[in-house]
Amino acid sequence: MARIGVFVCHCGENIGATVDCARVAEACRKIPGVAHSVDYKYMCSDPGQTLIREAIAQNKLTGVVVAACSPRMHEPTFRRVCSESGLNPYLCEMANLREHCSWVHEKSDVTTDKAIDLVAMLVEKVKRNKPLHPIKVPVTKTALVLGGGISGIQAALDIANAGHKVILVERDPSIGGHMSQLSETFPTLDCSQCILTPRMVEVAQHPNITLYTYSELESLDGFIGNFKTRIRKKARSLDEKLCTGCGLCTTKCPNKKIPSEFNTGLGMRTAIYVPFPQAVPNKPVIDREHCTYYTKGRCRVCEKVCPTQAIRFDQEDQIVEHEVGAVVVATGFTVKETDFFPEYGYGKYKDVINGLQFERILSASGPTLGEVKRPSDGRVPETVVFIACAGSRDPAKGIEYCSKICCMYTAKHAMLYKHKVHHGQAYVFYMDIRAAGKMYDEFTRRAIEEDHVQYIRGRVSRIYERNGKLIVQGADTLLNAMPVEIEADLVVLATAGVANEGAEALAQKLHVSYDSHKFFVEAHPKLRPVETNTAGVFLAGACQSPKDIPESVGQASGTAAKVAALFSMDELTREPVVAVVNRTAPPLYSTCVGCFLCQSACPYQAIEREEIKNRNGQVVKTIAKVNPGLCQGCGTCVAFCRSKSIDLQGYTHEQVYAEVMELLS
Amino acid sequence: MEALQKSAREALENHKAKVIIGYSEGSGGRMRPIFVQSPAEAEKLTWNDRCTQNLAVYIAKPEVQKLGKPALVAPLPVLRAVLQLASENQIKEGDLLVLALSDGRVTELSQFSEMEEFVAKTPTHLASKDQEAIERLEKMTPQERWQYWQSELTRCFKCYACRAACPMCYCSRCTVECNQPQWIPVPAHPLGNWEWHLMRAMHLAGRCVSCGACGDACPLDIPIHLLTMKVEADIHREFGSQAGMKVQSEHALSSFKVQDKENFII
Repeated sequence: MARIGVFVCHCGENIGATVDCARVAEACRKIPGVAHSVDYKYMCSDPGQTLIREAIAQNKLTGVVVAACSPRMHEPTFRRVCSESGLNPYLCEMANLREHCSWVHEKSDVTTDKAIDLVAMLVEKVKRNKPLHPIKVPVTKTALVLGGGISGIQAALDIANAGHKVILVERDPSIGGHMSQLSETFPTLDCSQCILTPRMVEVAQHPNITLYTYSELESLDGFIGNFKTRIRKKARSLDEKLCTGCGLCTTKCPNKKIPSEFNTGLGMRTAIYVPFPQAVPNKPVIDREHCTYYTKGRCRVCEKVCPTQAIRFDQEDQIVEHEVGAVVVATGFTVKETDFFPEYGYGKYKDVINGLQFERILSASGPTLGEVKRPSDGRVPETVVFIACAGSRDPAKGIEYCSKICCMYTAKHAMLYKHKVHHGQAYVFYMDIRAAGKMYDEFTRRAIEEDHVQYIRGRVSRIYERNGKLIVQGADTLLNAMPVEIEADLVVLATAGVANEGAEALAQKLHVSYDSHKFFVEAHPKLRPVETNTAGVFLAGACQSPKDIPESVGQASGTAAKVAALFSMDELTREPVVAVVNRTAPPLYSTCVGCFLCQSACPYQAIEREEIKNRNGQVVKTIAKVNPGLCQGCGTCVAFCRSKSIDLQGYTHEQVYAEVMELLS
Repeated sequence: MEALQKSAREALENHKAKVIIGYSEGSGGRMRPIFVQSPAEAEKLTWNDRCTQNLAVYIAKPEVQKLGKPALVAPLPVLRAVLQLASENQIKEGDLLVLALSDGRVTELSQFSEMEEFVAKTPTHLASKDQEAIERLEKMTPQERWQYWQSELTRCFKCYACRAACPMCYCSRCTVECNQPQWIPVPAHPLGNWEWHLMRAMHLAGRCVSCGACGDACPLDIPIHLLTMKVEADIHREFGSQAGMKVQSEHALSSFKVQDKENFII
């Protein structure tokens, strides 16, 4: 006969104020098989745990139901208590009276009745619980870092410096990301490339880091500690071992009029190109879409001039496979283009640009070599208008969130413009100045007070062209919405930071969740900000939400610490909540008929084929077998199996049926 | 008819098959299956519109397997059932021979690839009376349809003839026989009948070859075949896949594609 102990927690006022916990404990005492039932203010506290410990010993309990909060919160706590008291931890279950009852209902008798039902269900389940034992799996101490921007670089270096192998995958021909495109960085105005390039070189030279540039993730299978990944190395059309990076091919390429992605379309590049001079690796790529040889079938100038005969026109994409134990997603973000804004000319005015383009204009390595010249005619703009919150915080545009970085970089832009064009006038249209951060508010004050940037609180309703000037119409809401009209030479939109192209598809490959804006979602917004809900997959940087450099670097180091902690163990302990295919006596051996439709239904590739042999070694039956290392216990196969030959340990048909029947009784 | 008997005789004489599973005249105007094991018996084989039973139901049965390699007299639904069984790993290449029937001609097929080609060339539309019945049901309001099925399924007394007639119901232990716990109640009461028939329709979703053998087998003439045919037609329309067309096929309900429609999510 089962001897179940029921422990009802008040959770302070959380449950106690809504549910009559004493009545729940009282009612549960009458359930057949319940040997002990009490309520207590805080079951998770030390005295509360002692209560459970003593009850197990005194009443010789065979199972425990803790009626308290979500099992996500305290199941490990109470299972540990049971384990320490000599009871198998999987004989302990939690009835969620907080999230499923007290938090969602008003105080009333029926609320308490529901609480009693919830506990009674779990009592019926626990009666049928069987002792389970954790599964041990090995850990592959190699991390996969996706994205070679500052977040990916930082995470890769930190993990590598902790002594673990890292595979860094970057989609573009060079690592560096957006940070390599920036001019100076707030709030100290140090040159972005000057602080970034040493890190890039460190990545390239680090013995623990394998770098794949111009590569993308093809697939990721497996589970924490034991992922299998396939990476597509896109064809550079070049033998990287032979190429010395001399750059002769890029100077001789006749196809010179291709808008450069690195210079945000403001400069030109050749068909065989290195994105920027400090690129890592400093090896060119042939852009097959624009190369004359691939489009017209002749040219091959690069091949002729290459001193080491490194050009390979017939190179194909290559798939490389690796086993990794953890994945860091640091795929970054992008910014909206100016064509997103009908009121600002749909991108048809050349002198309406976005913040990233202005970064390139300010950059010493940019298309204007650092001189502030406007794109249309190359003149130095005398009046520049900066518009913050272009798209951000605008539900009408579908972007309700704050892009976070724009207030700071707009102040920086205005400041740098004033440093370069002393007589010029800079205006900033803003909604609020959000300059929270170390030295941040001081920075924006400096722009206003020392560099005399004119800040106007209001939005710009329209931009149009008149006599070669851009007319910016807005309102100053601090002056009773007085209309403001400024004749500008250049307008810089601080466009919203948005998720990278392909973020959704990548999230699906990685099995991580993403929000309505396609930013990846952390496991807990406060307490688990770098983990995802998929164990072993971590986040760093702006793929999660727009972030500035210090924040991205901080998060990357945080992620690296998580990975290092994971890699500090040789074996991982996993929950034994896995599916099992039944076995029966011969001649049936199992009720599984081997249709293997579960195999395609399994999202974790955990189902294998098992051959049952007789004494003579002949195969008599082929049935499904669940690999407990890969199984995540999702139960899809259980629902799918027509003959009910698969059962989920800890959630067996018998247990679930007993719960449902208790509820219906 | 003569072509069929000749092919069957040759298959036995040339040892291409040990037993021919076909149709012969039964009693009361009904056709019955026949297992022809000697060339002399081949003349008993026949083929007409009354041959509605799906003979593929026999190939996985241990007692039939003991007879040796079979040759199956196969109108289109039987052939599709063979391919679907192959896709579910129930038969292997070379396990059986098929005498495919179409337009009075007999084609001997031994490879799955040949069977796939044959099926691909043959139109797979439903019989007009079934098509019309489904359209009639589709035109009903949900309440009318509920009433209709309630009155039909209440009559069922769970003889499981539908299950025995279905080539796709090959489990060695059917769900209804799972009694720990007993998810589907055994007695033939209205609720239990509903549960059985809805479960059967779901278990055949994406697998039904629309032969209609279940409906023909029903001693109470409950048109249960319309349930599985309708589900199959919906799956074909929504996901593009059709059961029993290819051996290497992705089962509509167990596979996921990014481009799968999600318009059922409200």
